Amino acid sequence: MRFDRTSLQRARTRAAASALLLGVVALLLTFSALNDAFLTVDNFRNVFIQASVISVVAVPMALLLIAGKVDLSVGSTLALGAVVTGLLITDGVPLPLAILAGVLAGAVVGLVNGLLVEVWDLSPIIVTLGALTAVRGIALTLAPDPVFGFPDGFLALGENELLGIPYLVLIAVAVFLLGAAVLARMPTGRHVYAIGVNPEAAYLSGVRVRRVGLWLFVATGAAAALAGVMLAARLGSAPSGALGVGFELDVLTAVILGGIAFNGGRGTIAGVFLGVLFLGVLQNGLTLENVPAATAMVVKGAVLVVAAGLDRVAVRSEASAAKVLLGAAGRDPRAPSGRTGEAAQPELAASVDTARAAR
Amino acid sequence: MSIVIQGLTKAFGGARALDGVDLDVADGEIHALLGPNGSGKSTLIGCLSGRLKPDLGSMTIGTESVAHFSPREAFAAGTAVIYQHFTLVGSLSVADNVFLGAELRAAGGRIDRARQVSVTREILGRIGARLDPRTPVRSLSVGEKQLVEIAKALRHDPQLLVLDEPTAALSELEARALGQQLRGLRASGLAILYVTHLLSEVFQIADRVTVLRDGRAVLHREIADLAPRDVIAAIAPRGGVEVARRRAPHLADGPAAVSLSGFRAPGVGPIDLTVAQGECVGVFGLLGSGRTELLEGIYGIRGETAGEVALSGAPFRPRSASASLKQGLALVPAERGRQSVFAAMSALDNVLLPFFARIGRRWWRSRRRERRQFADTAALLALDPPSPAAPAATFSGGNQQKLAVGRWLTASSRAQMLLLDDPTQGIDVGARADLYALVRQFVREPGRGVLFSSSDPEEVMALADRALVLARGHVAGELRGDELSPQALLDLAHGHAGGDSAPPSLPTTDRGAQ
Repeated sequence: MRFDRTSLQRARTRAAASALLLGVVALLLTFSALNDAFLTVDNFRNVFIQASVISVVAVPMALLLIAGKVDLSVGSTLALGAVVTGLLITDGVPLPLAILAGVLAGAVVGLVNGLLVEVWDLSPIIVTLGALTAVRGIALTLAPDPVFGFPDGFLALGENELLGIPYLVLIAVAVFLLGAAVLARMPTGRHVYAIGVNPEAAYLSGVRVRRVGLWLFVATGAAAALAGVMLAARLGSAPSGALGVGFELDVLTAVILGGIAFNGGRGTIAGVFLGVLFLGVLQNGLTLENVPAATAMVVKGAVLVVAAGLDRVAVRSEASAAKVLLGAAGRDPRAPSGRTGEAAQPELAASVDTARAAR
Repeated sequence: MSIVIQGLTKAFGGARALDGVDLDVADGEIHALLGPNGSGKSTLIGCLSGRLKPDLGSMTIGTESVAHFSPREAFAAGTAVIYQHFTLVGSLSVADNVFLGAELRAAGGRIDRARQVSVTREILGRIGARLDPRTPVRSLSVGEKQLVEIAKALRHDPQLLVLDEPTAALSELEARALGQQLRGLRASGLAILYVTHLLSEVFQIADRVTVLRDGRAVLHREIADLAPRDVIAAIAPRGGVEVARRRAPHLADGPAAVSLSGFRAPGVGPIDLTVAQGECVGVFGLLGSGRTELLEGIYGIRGETAGEVALSGAPFRPRSASASLKQGLALVPAERGRQSVFAAMSALDNVLLPFFARIGRRWWRSRRRERRQFADTAALLALDPPSPAAPAATFSGGNQQKLAVGRWLTASSRAQMLLLDDPTQGIDVGARADLYALVRQFVREPGRGVLFSSSDPEEVMALADRALVLARGHVAGELRGDELSPQALLDLAHGHAGGDSAPPSLPTTDRGAQ
């Protein structure tokens, strides 16, 4: 059991998670000292609602990154999902069908991305960079002008709550739970890590490397479209040209902040949750302090780089400390991801789309 | 300038990789260095190139004697080492590669391409290579790339040229051409140390031979005084093998676990081969003999194959890893780090990765049952440490290989036919014995068969019921029962008829597959 805790991978994940947790706590303390309006139920309700949209995409994006791939087209896919659902609703199509159609549109984008990457062996960055532009074009073609005039039933999705918890937050909770379950408890979850760690060995061991990758792209596309539907319901309109612009960068920032390795094989859903929460609290606190949007962007960018730097330092010291200390009772190595579900429920994630709303 | 090595000793941990080796290479001499895997050849080269620091002994280049080099000093003293893997940049031209990092400058700091091309042409001419210096390296053949590597080394006017198995990746023709070019270099007074597996080359181009075994120079003599038999005897002495052999020659007539007829994969074939149920067949071959191509071809990961394959009598088309596994055919590939082990994942993940859905339910794992099955498998493997959570990277090489092999021995695996590519490469003796026992145990169950490849004659002796010898993609012969000996394996692999002091010749091709 001597080696149980020396895993560099686990040390990294844990270091990132603990550094991030400290970061979240530090932010909470700072902002609550600065502003009385910060630590209130209403404000946190707001933080969580804003975070829910980003969370829905951050979870499948995290899986995609763990498998060593990436989807840069989610911002445009979000707009497509919003526009398709919005157009169908305003045409009188029943709500569930319209939402389903919007999500399916996103799944089709993901399927095309996935086929190009997994079957044609093209680089995921190139394919999804192309899709980023092309899908935005499709959204603009479908709806050259912003779609609005939604029925109350659809707007209720963005406003109403169940047992005091907003619908949007409930959706995000469900996505977090699903993501955590896939990674920790489903056979596919281990395959996702294996593909990120050593794709050739995964293939030789009989893992359906291409099939898993394909499904991850489909899931990410569908999730991005769902996020678009959620955003449209909250905003009460779906502006095809502006909705979700820059969204992919916010998602990637949160995911990487959460300790998911950009080149695959490492990370947990718990980390993603903390990453989303951190960015959401930061954005909300800066807004409350009346920090100009331009300055907030500089802060957000700097935070990402500093966090990455701290991660490295923490990893080094923890890896060397682990060698010396080891000690302590062995803990289930997969516990962090297993606990995600419970952790996700009480507090829910925060987001950065205030900035986008402000744009 | 000549080089004299005296009493060179280098230990790793407790094991002496080099144990008082004496070796000298004179100016204008081609000196061949031979020895089985792990005999200390690469350690010796490491000391010469400055990569390793010897514990004892001295190296004298010209008149200056030193205890060790730094890589920079080795370079300054005129040692140039050419490794098996290339260090060339494919998109650059031959001339640009030759001058990479030491470009010739014209006025204004521009690279003087014209002069680089003319100097390169001159160097290439010296080794008799007719290559256009302006060709991009990407478009060259493996043999031509080898020549560019040599040209790159010659550009720095070395005193001693060390070649580490340069012909491993070359075709027969290319190997022959390379030999001629080395003879040309010898004429210019260069000292050449030539590491190789191929005996035929030694007798064609070398002046003297040194054979290393277990870190000692066991043979050090003029080629004119030697017959190929002497060299083979020095590499693998008769009676040096003390392994409990398991022979069951009669098995070969039973029902087949796998059979190939006219099988071809890129780089190997046509091959006829049958592994009977209950049989463990070894494929012996040197580097470049096609042993990996054969096993990976059967597994279906080498692209298009031709010929017929049958698994337990049923026709089978090699297509993909997952398709092969579905039919009970599993492969333990040769390169642990790249092809089989997930370094950052736990031991449990490494063994059970393909079977989580089988152990638990389709969509939900059962950690309890996984742990129980892992514990059983770890006990079977004698895994050390038997910890499910330890990442594979923290295990020794031998125990990592146990994880890779254990994947197909664990209770959920349905592998009936096991392909093992160089299964004990670079692992310690204890783990080696464990693995042999595991493979024997595997094949004892009804309906199973094993086909493994190796470049180590002792391994074939220890594990195989029957052996095929591959040379340059073809079956050079088959050995069973009492015919099976290290010497016979090496004879066939080196292309000898097996008779006494047969004249050295290039390895022959298809000598009739069974």
